[in-house]
Amino acid sequence: MKAWPHALRSVRNLWRKSELERELEEEMRSSLEMLVEEQSAVGVSAEEARRRALLEFGGVEQVKQSVREQRSGMGLELLLEDVRYGFRLLKRNPGFTGTMVLTLALSIGANTAIFSIVNALMLKSLPYSHPERIGTIFTRMTGSVSSDERHKIDGEQWELLRDSVPSLLSGIASGRTSGVNLQTGSRAQYLRTRRISAHYLDVLQIQPMIGRNFLEQEDVPNGPKAAILSYRLWRDTFGSDRNLIGRTVLLKGETYTVVGVLAEQSMPAIDADIYTALQESRKGEGAGTNFEVITRLRDGASWQQANAEINRVWMGRPHQYELQEGPGVQVQYYSVPLQQGETARLRPQAMALMLAAGFILLIACANLAGLTLVRMMRRIPEIATRMALGASRWRVQRQLWIESLLLAMMGAVAGTGVGFVALRGLLMLLPEGFLPVAGVSLDGRVLVFTLVLSFATSILFGMFPALMVRKMDLRGAMINRTATGGGHLRLRQTLIAGEVALTMLLLAASGLLVRTLVHLETLPPGFDPEGVMTARASLDDVRYHDPDAFRALLRESIEAMQRIPGVEDAAVGLSLPYERSLIMGGVGIHAGQNAAQKVMADETYVTPGYFKALRMPVLRGRPFEDSDGAETEPVVIINETFARRYLRGIDPVGQYLSIGTNLKIVGVVKDVQMAPGLDVVAPLATEETIYVPASQMKGQLLSMAHTFFQPSWVVRTGRPIEGLTGQMQRALASVDPNLPFSGFYSMRDLLVKVLATQRVEVALLGSMALLALLLSAVGIFALVANIVAQRTREVGIRIALGSSLQKAMVDVGTPGAGAAMLGLTFGLVLCAGLLRAMRSVLFGIQIYDLPTISIVVSTLAGVIFVAVAMPALRITGIDPAAILREE
Amino acid sequence: MSSKQANLLQGTLDLLILRALGLGELHGLGISRRIEQITEGTFVVKPGSLFPALYRMEEAGWLNSFWGESENKRRAKFYRLTKAGRGQLQVETQEWLKVSLAMTNALKAT
Repeated sequence: MKAWPHALRSVRNLWRKSELERELEEEMRSSLEMLVEEQSAVGVSAEEARRRALLEFGGVEQVKQSVREQRSGMGLELLLEDVRYGFRLLKRNPGFTGTMVLTLALSIGANTAIFSIVNALMLKSLPYSHPERIGTIFTRMTGSVSSDERHKIDGEQWELLRDSVPSLLSGIASGRTSGVNLQTGSRAQYLRTRRISAHYLDVLQIQPMIGRNFLEQEDVPNGPKAAILSYRLWRDTFGSDRNLIGRTVLLKGETYTVVGVLAEQSMPAIDADIYTALQESRKGEGAGTNFEVITRLRDGASWQQANAEINRVWMGRPHQYELQEGPGVQVQYYSVPLQQGETARLRPQAMALMLAAGFILLIACANLAGLTLVRMMRRIPEIATRMALGASRWRVQRQLWIESLLLAMMGAVAGTGVGFVALRGLLMLLPEGFLPVAGVSLDGRVLVFTLVLSFATSILFGMFPALMVRKMDLRGAMINRTATGGGHLRLRQTLIAGEVALTMLLLAASGLLVRTLVHLETLPPGFDPEGVMTARASLDDVRYHDPDAFRALLRESIEAMQRIPGVEDAAVGLSLPYERSLIMGGVGIHAGQNAAQKVMADETYVTPGYFKALRMPVLRGRPFEDSDGAETEPVVIINETFARRYLRGIDPVGQYLSIGTNLKIVGVVKDVQMAPGLDVVAPLATEETIYVPASQMKGQLLSMAHTFFQPSWVVRTGRPIEGLTGQMQRALASVDPNLPFSGFYSMRDLLVKVLATQRVEVALLGSMALLALLLSAVGIFALVANIVAQRTREVGIRIALGSSLQKAMVDVGTPGAGAAMLGLTFGLVLCAGLLRAMRSVLFGIQIYDLPTISIVVSTLAGVIFVAVAMPALRITGIDPAAILREE
Repeated sequence: MSSKQANLLQGTLDLLILRALGLGELHGLGISRRIEQITEGTFVVKPGSLFPALYRMEEAGWLNSFWGESENKRRAKFYRLTKAGRGQLQVETQEWLKVSLAMTNALKAT
């Protein structure tokens, strides 16, 4: 018999069950009647004929049953019966079922949520056509410096890549999303912008919804000014006007021709409101490594070919800047898929979280196995009876597996729900733009993952009871009415020890992250962050390329803000503490042991009131003054770190630095915490910084600085002022009505933003550690409670014979507490071995951090104690007299 | 009815049913009577063995069934051989002849 027709018939028979039954019934009746007629023909009485017929027929019901057993689909029917039985059993034990499903839901939900992120980051293909042909370039450095990552490239590299690497179609985008102002009618609007090269969209094979991509002649220095709008901007600001193409808009104070409008959500990787042509030149921005590159393999070319071409042209540069990183550095370039390039930064964190989620699942499995074992022991009498009545071991095992699977399916459904909610929460936690993908969703792959995970879980926890049936001694079970407990107790203790060890590891890891976050948040800021409000505006505007106009804007807007009642100080700075700042290379030192060296430093321009407004102490010399102007001697103020590193042992005040021209050092200010740009080893650091007066900024540097950075207006108030931000906006508008602030931030906001990654890490790993702790506590509690229940009779008798209550409690608690303590010890060993992997995400603390370990150990020990003591206390409720009467 | 009831050899029942139906379509009881007749009363197939066998063979696709009228104008379920059933009859007949020849020889041998 072929399998397929058989299966079809099985299903059909199940459907037509009542019809088949009716037919069978009728056939039996008619056959019986025929037999009766036969007998009647012989001449006996009607009664006798029926008696004889029934005798020959041999029991209608038995015949029917033996016919039914021949029917196809009987196996399936039995299976359904087992499933129904399983459901009934689970319904009859709501406590057990609830605990199991809740445990499954939490652990599978956590895994589902984390996996959705891994899926979105690493598994889903990029939403462009032929994503496998899109790449980016990594730089591998070996020798005295070793690194392997996606580098931004400079103008020279870009031109070589664009013109001399025929295997690739390449595109670049400016390194950061920045802000510009768009004026429509009387309304000025702040937009997020990205500047992209001519073929950037061609690399991604994105065609605008209307219009076209940038042309090569639009992507040359001083070329025609063209813009491509995002769908959102086109819809919200231009009312979805299809005739907009070819018309001009006023952007950055200049007219730009609109050449295209992108479709909705077409470019998630570099999301912006408006795109302009990059117009790269090797000067200014192109002199530094400021461009992010993407490449598409041309038809017929291979990646090996492309890599060979890249290495050939980039190695041939006369001044390869990478070689200055250290002596004897070897450099190699190679292509990697774009997706990998974009997510490399988040990959270790995502994998660590996935691992933590896996631990949660293991811990949950240990609990689930423990619970099923206990339930199994309670069911021994029932199972023994079934087996004694002839049920095969296989049939009983099948029943148990079906129950495990039913639980797993319920867990999968509940887990998907929990996962969905957890994912929403997680995404809300993440700062905007944290993940370089358009969206994270529970797609088909995630659902399959959840389902597979649930099945795997059910196998892990369903394995133990099924094995027990295989080894069950039927006779012993019938006599004792319980399974022999010793072996299973040991198994459960092992499970408890294992889960406590993993919990310890998760707790310690999240403890270290918490300590790191606390360390970073409580670093001495170097200024007074309280009572400061800041507002940012884009000065990437042709009207402010002129230093005179820029100076007038700053002067008048600061005066206007100082007139706001309650404002004590107002100032402007290109970048603020907690932020990244412009990096200036080639700063010449003219004194001390570093004389004649050119160094790199963070640079920011500030107005004279800046240090006072932020309460940054001037340690030596003087702050900037109104008299430091365009016509007076160029001056500079350095921070402590700069002085310590480059002007050690001499009084910096009165010395000179050179950036093009000579700048006289007039003061030294205290270090402030900032997001490092020179050497990114921690999220916050104090780096060598130089401050220059805003009034002495030269035109070219000014406009370049403003393409990258939007300066901040800083206002200090003595007390909170109602409607301060509105008043600040009005103050600015009184000077330039077409200059909108892009946002208002307290210093706390900026600190939160710079530590976003650490916050997310703490929240995620912390909640998983707490979940692990909860699961472990439940596991220990269940073990001890079960021992108490099992030994109630024995304990009662012992108390009646004079044993103390205390001793009895210690007795029942010991197996659980012992296993947990063993797990704790083993967890310490795990910590010693595995926490080293966290070195790169810890700042300001050691991996073997005594306070963390002691807090974690005492927390865990406390939780273990409670989990053991609560059920053990139930012993006090035992009434020895009642027990004795039962005996 | 008949006391000269021989044990049905394993596999014989199917062959007997196929053979009985090879002569024409019959209802359940008719098959039983036909077998009794062609084996000259050696085999009497009771309903308890007959009906499960019929259902099994129908599932296997050797027989199909339809509702008709018996000789006494009673509604009854009739069975007939399918094409596969005819083939099976041939195969099993050959098989049986081989076995019976072998058995006969074996029993004759000293």
